[in-house]
Amino acid sequence: MERIGVVLGSREATPLEFWVGVEGEGLLRLDDLVVVEGFHPKVGKVRYFGMVDHVAKVHEGESFDTDIFLAAEGKIPVSLAYVAHVSVTRIVPEEFFPPDPGSDVYLAQGEDLELALYYDAMKNQRGSTKLPAGFLKNGEVAYLNLEFLSGVKGGHVNISGISGVAAKTSYATFLLKSLLESGVLEEAHQARVLLFNVKGEDLLFLDKPNLRLSEEAKEEYRRLGLPPTPFGSVRFLAPPRKGGEGILPDVETRLEGVKAYHWDLVQFAQKGLLPFLFTDKGALTNLGFLVAHVTEKLRRLAEGQKGPHLLVADWLGGELPEGITFDDLGRVRLKSFSDLVRYLEYKLLGPETGEGEGDRTWTARQARGTLEAFVRRLRASVENVAHLVRGDRKGNPPDPLEGGEQVHVVDLAKLSPQGQMFVVGSLLSDLFAKKERGQYRGRVFVVLDELNKYAPRDEESPIKDVLLDIAERGRSLGVILIGAQQTASEVERRVVGNAAIRVVGRLDAAEAERPEYRYLPTSFRQRALILPQGMMILHQPEIPVPLLVRFPFPAWATKREEVLEDNSAEALRREFF
Amino acid sequence: MAWRLYALDLSRLEGPAEGVEASPGVWDGTPGAQEGYLASFYPLEEPWEARRAHPLPWPEPLYFVDGRERAEAVLSDGRRLALLGCVAAGAVVYQRGNMRLLETRVRRVGVGLEEALRLGKLVYEPLPLEGPPNPGDVLTALQEGLRKARTLLEEQLAEALAGGLLVVDGPVRLRRQGPVLGYIKTHWARYLPEDREALLSTLKPGERTPMFRVRRKGQELASWYLRLPLPPEGVRPPESGLLRVETPLQGDFGALADLSLSLFPALASHPVKDPRAPQNLLPVGGLERELSRRMGSREVVGRLLARYLGGG
Repeated sequence: MERIGVVLGSREATPLEFWVGVEGEGLLRLDDLVVVEGFHPKVGKVRYFGMVDHVAKVHEGESFDTDIFLAAEGKIPVSLAYVAHVSVTRIVPEEFFPPDPGSDVYLAQGEDLELALYYDAMKNQRGSTKLPAGFLKNGEVAYLNLEFLSGVKGGHVNISGISGVAAKTSYATFLLKSLLESGVLEEAHQARVLLFNVKGEDLLFLDKPNLRLSEEAKEEYRRLGLPPTPFGSVRFLAPPRKGGEGILPDVETRLEGVKAYHWDLVQFAQKGLLPFLFTDKGALTNLGFLVAHVTEKLRRLAEGQKGPHLLVADWLGGELPEGITFDDLGRVRLKSFSDLVRYLEYKLLGPETGEGEGDRTWTARQARGTLEAFVRRLRASVENVAHLVRGDRKGNPPDPLEGGEQVHVVDLAKLSPQGQMFVVGSLLSDLFAKKERGQYRGRVFVVLDELNKYAPRDEESPIKDVLLDIAERGRSLGVILIGAQQTASEVERRVVGNAAIRVVGRLDAAEAERPEYRYLPTSFRQRALILPQGMMILHQPEIPVPLLVRFPFPAWATKREEVLEDNSAEALRREFF
Repeated sequence: MAWRLYALDLSRLEGPAEGVEASPGVWDGTPGAQEGYLASFYPLEEPWEARRAHPLPWPEPLYFVDGRERAEAVLSDGRRLALLGCVAAGAVVYQRGNMRLLETRVRRVGVGLEEALRLGKLVYEPLPLEGPPNPGDVLTALQEGLRKARTLLEEQLAEALAGGLLVVDGPVRLRRQGPVLGYIKTHWARYLPEDREALLSTLKPGERTPMFRVRRKGQELASWYLRLPLPPEGVRPPESGLLRVETPLQGDFGALADLSLSLFPALASHPVKDPRAPQNLLPVGGLERELSRRMGSREVVGRLLARYLGGG
C-alpha cells in the first residue's frame, strides 16, 4: 500500500468526509480512491474508503496575496500545502465515528479499490454482475452493476449531455457492446436491441470495422473483456424515399444492406396507430376522445382484411375522387394514406358538396368543430407520413423481435418531426404490447435519443404515455430504455427518475445547475462543464459517488469514411456472385 | 515543596518584572550599549560620504539564521522562582533562485530548574541560574537565562551551516570560517561622533556610510550603516530606514559592505505588511512565522501547564 498523506487536524474530520494533507512527492488527484484506517478501543478497526473530490495547493500562512511575488523572486520562504477533500464512499464495518487526524491515508488499490467501489457486492447466485462500463482515471476497469441495468434490481439508463461533444450515442452503443458481448448478461444471445438513429447516419455502420481504431484501443477492448469488433448481427431499416417508383430506402451514405420500412393501411388500422399522428392530444380533450373512437372504428373495419390496401364498402359513388378502384364485391380500394384521409373526412364531415352530416357511427356525437379539427390535423399529416403508411404494397414495419438479427437500427433522421413521433410511438407501443403478452422471452434494449422530444416534461402525448409505461413497468417486462437527451430538465421527471443508471457527459453551465443533476457532488457538476469527448460521469445506485469513466474509441464505423473496407478475395467473391 | 504555577503571563507579575519587560537590553539584540564605542571610533574608509555600489549577484548558498524566545510560565516552589520558556532557532537558505526553510530547532527550557520537568508531552530541560541569586531582580535574571538559551541555539545551528554567506539577526558573536554578516535593527548604542552622524540623515535608499571599526569583547569588526527603502519615501524620518551591518574584520570585508547594498534593500519588508518594516527582512519574517508555528500555540501550552501545575 502506498501511503499518500495523513488526515488533517486543522479541518474537521468526520465519518463522511475529511481532508488529507498530501505528503512529499505524493500525487493525489480528483477521483483518486483512498483508504484510511481508524481505531477505537470500543469498536476496533474501522476502514474508511473514499474518493477525492477536491484538491488544492496553497501557500500556508501568507496573509497577503502579493506575497506570491516575493516568493516567486525567492525573497521569502513559503510553505506549500497540498490538501485534498475526501468523500467517504464506504465504511467497513459501519461504525460512524470520525477518523483520527494524523491517520495514514493510502491509495486504494486492488482489493481496496473493489471495496471502495462496492465491486464485491456486484454478484448474484449465478456469479458476477460486474458489467464493464469504461476505464477509471487510474486505468482500472470501471464496472456497473448489471442488476441495476437489466431490470433485476433496477433498470434503464439515462444519458445527458450536449449534442456533438458529449458522445451520448457513442456511449450508449458502447454499453450495448458490453451488454451483448461481455458475457455478464445471461442469455445475451436472446437479447434484442432497438436503436433509433435520430440524426445523420452515424448508426448505419455499426456492423463495419472502424478504420481509425488503433492498436491501443483494441488492447483497451481486450482489457474490458470485449472483442474489438463491430456489432455482428445488425439489421438496418430506413424510411422509403418520398415519391418516385418503387420503395427505396432514403439513405445517402450507406448503399447496401439497408431495407426500407413502411406500414400498409391494414396494419395501420389493425394495430391502432392513428393516435401516434396526434402528438398534441392534451390540447383538446374531445379530440382525444374522437381519436380513440376513430382508431377503434378503423380497427374493426380492417378486421379480416389482408391488405395492403384497405377495402371500404360504405363510400358512396359520385363522391369518389379519381383513380379509386373497386374490388369484385364493389368495395372501394383505399390505396394510399391520402385516400384513407379522404375517406375519414367523408365519414366525419359528410360529402364535400353541401353541408351534409357525417356518419353518426363515426362521429361519436362530437361537435362539428372537433370533427373539423381532427380532419385538419389528419390532412396536415399526409405530407409527413404518406410514404410511411401506404396501400400499394405489403407493409414491412420494423420489428426488433422478428428476424434473425439481434440489433435493429431504425433510421429516423430524414423524417419530419411528426413522422419521427409516429415511427417511435408505433414501434414502442407494438414492442411493449408484445412483451406484455409474453411473445418474446429475451430482454429488449431500446436506445432513444432526444427524449425531450418524445417525453417532454410539460406536454401530453401518446408517445410519452408509452415511454412512461416502459419507464415504470418496462423493467419487470424486460424492456430496458437507454434514453438520452441534451437536457434532462426538459424530460418528464418519471422517465428520468426511473433510470437506475445515470450518465452525464459535457453539460452546459446553466443546465448543470438544475435540480435534475443534484445527485452529482459539486465537483462533478463543475467538471461536467469541461468533460472532453470520450469521458462520462457514471452514477449508479450502489455507489454513493459518481465515477468518471473513459470509454474506448468505437470499434465500429460511425460514418462512411471510417469504414474499413474488406478487400479480401472472400469478400469480393461474395459481392460479385 | 513541588513546583507550582505562579503566573502564565509575565506582564501580570507585579514589581520589577514590568520594568524588565521594557528594558531595551533584553529586546533589541544589542545589549550593554556602552559608551566605549564612541571613544574608539576609527573610520576604515575615507572620505566620510555616502557610498553606492553596482548591483552584485547574491552568493549561494545564502543563509539567514534567526531565533525566537517565549516565556511560557513562571513557577514557584515557595522559596524560588523558575521560568519555563520555549526557544527556537531556524535557518532559511537561498539557493538556485529559491528561498526555502532549511532547518528549525525548538527547545523548551526551565531556567532555574535543577532537573527536567515533564508535563505530558512537554519536557522542559533544566537550565540552572548563573551566579548567585539576586532576590531583587530574579525575573530579569531568569529572562536573561532564556535569552542565552536562544542565542546558544542560534549559534549551534549557525555553526552547522557550511560554505556561502551567513546573515544573522543581531551582532556577530560566533566565529565562522566563511563570511558572515550581522545586522542590527534598532539603534540604542551610538557608534558615530556627532559630526559624522549628520551623514545618516542624508543617506538615500541603497546608500551606505563608509565602514568604521568596532571592537567588542576581543572581537574586531567592520561596521557601516545603510539605508533601506521605506515607501512612501519622505514621509518618515530618515533614520527610520537605517540598518547597521557588521562583519568580522577579516578577509575581503569591503566587498561584503558593497554586497550588502544589493542584499538588504532588496529584502526590506514593506510597511503595509509588516509593522517592523523595513528592517525586519522578508525571509526572516517568514522564518519567524515558521518558528512561532513550531513553538506551538501559546494557549494550548498554557492550558497544559495549568492542568499539570494547577493554579494560575
